[in-house]
Amino acid sequence: MELSCKDCTFYLPVDVFQGLCKISKAKILPDDAFCREAGKLPKCKFCHHFTEEKDYLGKCKGTTLAYHDMVASKCADFEWIQQN
Amino acid sequence: MNENSVNYYGKMPDPLVGSREQKTPPTPRAAAARERYFGTRSSASMEFPYWYTRRWEELEGEIPVIRRAEALKAGFEHLTPTIYPGELLAMGKASYLRGSFPMPWLSEAFFMAAEDKFYQEALVSGKLTADTFTTMGTGGGNVTQSIGKVISIAGKFGLRVEEMPVMIEVAKRWKDKSVDDVGHRYEQKVPGYKEKEAIMRSVICMFDSGYTLPQGREVVNYYYPLQYGIEGIKAICGDAIAEVAGKPGMDRLYFYQAVKIMLEGVQAWIRSYAKEASLLAGLEKDAQQKQEYEAMSERLHWISSHPPRNFHDALQILWTFHIAVLNEDAISGLSPGRVGQVLLPWWQRDMKSGLLDRDKSIELLECMRMKFTEIDCFASMGVVGGVLSGNTFNNLCLGGLTKEGTSATNELEMLILEAGIRCDTPQPTLSILYDEKLPEEFLLKGVECTKIGTGYPAWVSNQVAMEFLLKNYGHEGMTLEEARAWSIGGCLETSPGSWMPLEFDGEIHWIPGGSAPATSVGVHFISLPKILEVALFDGMDMRTGERIFPPHGLELNSYEELWKVFRDYFSRAVHVLTLTNNIQHDAWRKIAPSLVNSMLKPDCLAVGKDIGQMGSRYNTTFNVETTGTANLVNSLASLKLNIYDEKNFSLEDYRKAILANFGYHTAKETGSFSLIDQTPNQDYDTWKKIHKLSNEAPKYGNDNTYVDGILREWETWFCDMTHDYLSIYDQPLYACQISVSTHGPMGAVTLASADGRLCGTTFSDASMSAYPGTDRNGPYALFNSATCWDHSESQNSQLNIKIHPSAVKGREGSRKFLELIRAYLRKGGFHVQFNVVDSRMLKEAQKEPGKYRGLMVRVAGFTQYWVELGKQIQDEVISRTEYEEI
Repeated sequence: MELSCKDCTFYLPVDVFQGLCKISKAKILPDDAFCREAGKLPKCKFCHHFTEEKDYLGKCKGTTLAYHDMVASKCADFEWIQQN
Repeated sequence: MNENSVNYYGKMPDPLVGSREQKTPPTPRAAAARERYFGTRSSASMEFPYWYTRRWEELEGEIPVIRRAEALKAGFEHLTPTIYPGELLAMGKASYLRGSFPMPWLSEAFFMAAEDKFYQEALVSGKLTADTFTTMGTGGGNVTQSIGKVISIAGKFGLRVEEMPVMIEVAKRWKDKSVDDVGHRYEQKVPGYKEKEAIMRSVICMFDSGYTLPQGREVVNYYYPLQYGIEGIKAICGDAIAEVAGKPGMDRLYFYQAVKIMLEGVQAWIRSYAKEASLLAGLEKDAQQKQEYEAMSERLHWISSHPPRNFHDALQILWTFHIAVLNEDAISGLSPGRVGQVLLPWWQRDMKSGLLDRDKSIELLECMRMKFTEIDCFASMGVVGGVLSGNTFNNLCLGGLTKEGTSATNELEMLILEAGIRCDTPQPTLSILYDEKLPEEFLLKGVECTKIGTGYPAWVSNQVAMEFLLKNYGHEGMTLEEARAWSIGGCLETSPGSWMPLEFDGEIHWIPGGSAPATSVGVHFISLPKILEVALFDGMDMRTGERIFPPHGLELNSYEELWKVFRDYFSRAVHVLTLTNNIQHDAWRKIAPSLVNSMLKPDCLAVGKDIGQMGSRYNTTFNVETTGTANLVNSLASLKLNIYDEKNFSLEDYRKAILANFGYHTAKETGSFSLIDQTPNQDYDTWKKIHKLSNEAPKYGNDNTYVDGILREWETWFCDMTHDYLSIYDQPLYACQISVSTHGPMGAVTLASADGRLCGTTFSDASMSAYPGTDRNGPYALFNSATCWDHSESQNSQLNIKIHPSAVKGREGSRKFLELIRAYLRKGGFHVQFNVVDSRMLKEAQKEPGKYRGLMVRVAGFTQYWVELGKQIQDEVISRTEYEEI
């Protein structure tokens, strides 16, 4: 899975076009290349319970509508996908 | 026509005056925040609606108000916190600086793709016609086109492409269940419903209020969180639950339980921000910024449970609950009210203890201005562009009287004005509740602020407002003392308040706050010139060829007959729109009852009812709102004079001239929406005489008894007839007369009018403003015309004036300016506000918007960045009569 700045826990969104890096405070774009694996933001697409379908949509636990790019920091059910 | 056709009162100085009065810049912190804002686009996200919908679906079968509370809680607790460097006040509606989100539980059709069947159905029913005649501002923060991975919605909001499918999917889940759809199902039971659809398609009426902006145009009441804190309110609910459980009036049990649940969501939301501030503090290298993040985190943790300890806490609580209300419904015009009086006890104590000084206070108030300016409301193009012009009308009021009837202004209000001068941003707009008892120093400070060209403060008559309130809320128990607690809700809606007993350091401070739900819902807006047009054409909309009203079949042989037909058609529209809107609002209170706002509003917590169940102290809050007063009155004067009194030509010739647009190209053809820059076509000579006589007929705003008599007759009849219609709360309606931005799109669908106005051009703004270029006798003549009727019969009246900066320059200019304002308000005028600007600068800004990102103008009840206004409104503001002398 290709990651970008908006997948980083240190990404501060300003608007849909741009954001700030919480560490460097530099202006960055959401689709800029991801640089900090340690700072990956909990999102549905990184969740063990998420099954991707099409058009960015998917299912949570096989039943509930979810979307892959949703921030899941506050989701009680979020679990990181185990890396092999 | 050209620019010379617009009359300027006095001689315009040469050269152009590009700047306004000198002013102090904002603090570096606010300046940085404003620069960030200037570079930020309006952005939508799906977090809140996704979680709201998910929880809603999980709880099928639950008591509706509990289901709503749980859905709101889920929305709040899942919002991602975003804190920007330098902020002293944290939190926002959504996870972008100018963030907002769809609320499909209210309405879902407008943000579907144009080819989608939901959208097409909405078009047929007339719900989206206004969207197609609205021009959006093309600059500033508006995302007017889809670019790359960003989709443009309603010509304003950007949505990441990754969130588009879920937005569509969530919207579909509300199909036939949203307030819009359920209301639509039942409004069709109203006899004459088809006429309502025709009215909407013709844009005689701009929009339905029940599912577009069901709340707002009201004043928030911050008393409960300031006095008790969130845990305190939960304890009140807990005690009440024990008191009412199992007893008659069981809805109270569910209401209290729902408030508790909702508050748990708000607490989680605040604590998310506290945690984020703590995280940022950990990352921060700069010592001061680190300390500010730590303090912010501690403050947020504290206020997530407790009442405020100081002014900064209190301001944060005020802001948090303000946006909490905004997140429960699509809302415009949610006014913070008399903030300087509400927060005074904390501010005085902090100043005394040395915790605050004047500069620190101004910095905090400037930060507050930035937060309010960042508020966006996700709505359809017709609403967000055609009504709001991208603004959300959060009005902060100053002055007025105390509970005891003395001047209520104070030192903190002076600083609020100072912050408004230094950090000039559109929101919160300011209004001075003018009373003869207010001190001169305060009034001159207000003039100083108006002079810098911000368009605020607006000047509003305290006495006229109180008269209106006592007339309309007296039967609900309003006393003179309580009337003094009023404030402006939204642009200019007189809203009832109450005095709440704030216990502070062992003393009781009576603080004012809103005590009614939305004071401007119901029939919104009715186009007066369009009704007259349809009356002249026997009930037909000649633009579309569609019949709107049954044919009257009359020859219209007398002015009295024409006047009667106009009133009959107007009454028909009010009748059917009142009934259909009542149904929509009933659907709203059943499907999406207010919980945050209800919790705040006295006396909902005391009686255990939400605002939809009349839990508020005052409930006479529905109105009939109109647009195009000056065009109506001028047209009637022209018809009366030219057809009936002097018989200069026949009505049939007039009809032909109107259809021929008096021999001019239409506004759509020229791309210009004022009379400036309109160009004749090949038929010009045929209609020249009729157009000349139409233009020469008496015009409102010149102290002319012929036309002013027509205005008085209209106002007297209109203000009275509204009381014949009843809201869902079984209370009579009242008149409301502001245009906001509706005079643009409503003008766009209206043919030429008998006053000489051309097809598609924007109407006169407001209700007491003269039509641009027609007030030729100076401001005092305009005042005489405007006050020929009793303004306390209406919720408001609105007068906007444009003055050249040189006319009010310096200290002497300030004195003259204040006398001018006083003159109008002493005559019985309700509201006046000013654009202090050289019109040539506006023209330049239209040509080169990139150079004028920070330029603001007053439209009609609100101030907005020039570059975010649509051309319909820009052209109208440019063409307004500019007074070079006062």
